[in-house]
Amino acid sequence: MERGLVTLIGMSIAYVASFIGLGLAWYGWKRRHRDDGGGSSESRGAGS
Amino acid sequence: MVGGAGFFYRLARRSESEFFLAGRRLPWWLPAASVFSTHTATDTPIWVTGTVYQHGLRGLWYTFFAAWTSVASFVSARIYRRSVAFTQAEWQVVRFHGMGAELLRGWMAGWQVFMNMFILGWVGIAMGRVTELAFGWPVWVGLVIPSVITAFYTLAAGYWGVVMGDFLQGIVAIFAILLVSAVGIVAAGGPHAVVAGVGNLGQGWRLNSLAFTGWFTGDFPMAWWLTMLVIAIVGGFGMGTSIDWYVEAQRIQSAKTVRDAAYGIWWGGAITLLRNGIWAASILAFFVMAPHITNGAESELGWYRMGLELLPAGLVGMFFAAILAIHFSTISSHMNLGALYFTRDLYQRYWNPEASQKTLVWVGRIATAVLLVGSFFYGLMMQEITQWLIFALWLMMAGIWLPNILQVVWWRFNAWGYLASWIANLGIAWLVVWVLPEFHVIPVLPDYLQFWSLMALGVLIFVPATFLTKAEPMDHLIHFYLQTRPLGWWGPVKAEARRRGLLRDERATRSADPRPFIRRTWTAEEADGWSREDWIAIVLSPISMALAMVGAANLFLLQASAIWELTLAVLAAIAVFWVIDPKLKAVSVEYENQQASYLTRLEERMRWRPDTIPEGGAD
Repeated sequence: MERGLVTLIGMSIAYVASFIGLGLAWYGWKRRHRDDGGGSSESRGAGS
Repeated sequence: MVGGAGFFYRLARRSESEFFLAGRRLPWWLPAASVFSTHTATDTPIWVTGTVYQHGLRGLWYTFFAAWTSVASFVSARIYRRSVAFTQAEWQVVRFHGMGAELLRGWMAGWQVFMNMFILGWVGIAMGRVTELAFGWPVWVGLVIPSVITAFYTLAAGYWGVVMGDFLQGIVAIFAILLVSAVGIVAAGGPHAVVAGVGNLGQGWRLNSLAFTGWFTGDFPMAWWLTMLVIAIVGGFGMGTSIDWYVEAQRIQSAKTVRDAAYGIWWGGAITLLRNGIWAASILAFFVMAPHITNGAESELGWYRMGLELLPAGLVGMFFAAILAIHFSTISSHMNLGALYFTRDLYQRYWNPEASQKTLVWVGRIATAVLLVGSFFYGLMMQEITQWLIFALWLMMAGIWLPNILQVVWWRFNAWGYLASWIANLGIAWLVVWVLPEFHVIPVLPDYLQFWSLMALGVLIFVPATFLTKAEPMDHLIHFYLQTRPLGWWGPVKAEARRRGLLRDERATRSADPRPFIRRTWTAEEADGWSREDWIAIVLSPISMALAMVGAANLFLLQASAIWELTLAVLAAIAVFWVIDPKLKAVSVEYENQQASYLTRLEERMRWRPDTIPEGGAD
C-alpha cells in the first residue's frame, strides 16, 4: 500500500479514540443537565 | 529508580495534584531536565541518524520543530500556566464554554489517552530493535521488560517519580551522547578527517546546513525549510502545534511559578536542539566510515552501532545503562501523562466528579498499568499501523496548526470552530493526500504544499463554523482574559472588562516619564500586559536556538564558523533573559497571590458546581 493511504488509515484509527472521548463527554453533559435541570455553572455562564 | 520511588511514594499518594503535577512546586530545572529526557527516547537517535545520514547537516532543520519552545516559553507556556488547567483537554473548558467546550475536552482526552498508549508501543518497539542489535534478544524482550521496570516507580511515585528519574536519567544521557559522539568522530580520524572525508566522497554539501536544492524543487527546497521554520516558530504562539506540546503542558503546570514554567520549557528545548547538533556531527563521522548504506533501517542504527562497536567493553555496559535511562524517562512520562488524561478528563469529569483524592490516585495507577499493557499489544501486533500513525501525526498537526494558534490569540474563535477544524481535518486530509491524487485530479503534493493546502482548506471550514455560531459568553471570556492575559486580538473583551472596572486602561496609568527602551522595573499590573520586552525575547530566542544547534555541530567538527555561531547564540540568550527576567518575576509574584482562588474555581467547576469566585478572581 502506498504511503499516503496507510497514513490516512492510521489517522482514522487515531480519530476513533477521539470520537469515543467526544461521545463520553456528550453522555456526561446530558446526564448532568438532566440531573440538575441545567442549573450548573456551565449552563448559565461562568461568573454570571 | 525503583528504590527512590519509595521515597516519593508518600508525596504522590496525597492527591491527584501530587500524583500528576508534583503539587505544582517544581523549580525550573526539574521540568527542563524532564523535557529533555522525555524527548530523548530510544527511537530519537534512530530517526535523527536516519535524517542526517540522508540529508547531512541540513537534516538538522527537520529536528528544529523543538524550537517551538523558544517562543512558547514567553507566550503560550506563560498563558497556559496561568490557566492552571491540569491538561490541554481541561484548558478547553477554561478557554471555551458550554457543551462545545465539553465535547472538545472529551475529544482531546480520548485522543491523548490513545496517543500516549501508541507512543509507549512505538518507543517500546525501538527499544526492542536496540536490544536485538546489542544482544540478539527477541524484540518482545526489549519491549516488555524495561517498560515493566519503569512501571514500578511510575505507579508508586507518579509524576514525582517521573521527574526525579528524568533528572538523573538526563545527566546519564548527556554524558553518553557526548562520549559516543566524540568516540565516533575520533574513530573516523578526528574532526578534520570527517570534513575531508565528506569532501573526498564528493558530498561536501553535507557540511552546509543551508544546502538548498532550489526554491521549490529537489528533496530540500527552500520552501520546505521556510515552512518548517514557520511551523516551529509561529507555532510557539499556540498550544498543541507540536505533538510535544501535550507532554510539555504537564511540565508547565508542575512548575512552581510562571517564571519557572517559562524557563523550564526554554532550557528543555535548548538542550534538545544542542543535543541534535552534537548527534549530527557524529552521524557525519558514521557516514564517512560507512558511506554506501542504501537500506534506511540499517543507516538509522548508525549512532547506536558506534556506541556498541567502538566503545571498550566496560563502557559498552555504561552505554547500555544510558540507553535504558533514555528509555525509562520517555516511557514513564507517557504512562503518567496518558493516565492523567484518563483520570482527570474522562473518569473524574464525566464518570465520578465527586471521587475522593485517594480514589483518583488509585484510578491513576490502574490507568497507568492498563496503558502499559495496551502498548505491548500495539508494539507487538500492530507494528505496521505504528508506522502509519507516525506519518498520521504530521498530517494531523498540519490541519489543526492554525486553529491551535487561534484558540490562544483570537477572542472570537469559539469551541464550535475549533471542533469543526479537528473533525474536518480528517476528511480534508483524505481528499488532499489520497482521493484527489488517486483520481488524478491533483498531483501528489510535496510535504510543504500538503501543509499549506490542509491549512487553507481548514480555514474554509472553521472560519464559517466560528461566525455561524455564537461567540463565547462575555462573562466567560472576561474571566479567561483576566486570569491568563493572552496575547493577540482581545480588544472587545478588554474593553468590556475596563467598562466593568475589572481592568485598568494602560494608557491612563502610564507614567509621564519617558520610558526606557528596555524596562527593568515592573509593577505586577504593568507586567501582565504585552510589551516591547516580550517581542524582543520572542524574536531573539529562536535565533539563539537555531545558532546553538548548528554551532554545536560545527564545534564538534572544529569548523571556524562555530565560533561566531555559538558566540551569537550565547549573546542572544543572555539578551533574552536580561530583557525578560524582571517582567517574569513581577508576573510570577502577582500571579502566585491569585493562584489559590483560580485552583478553587477549577475544582468547583470540575464537580459541576456553580462558581463562587467573583469576576476577576479573588480581588
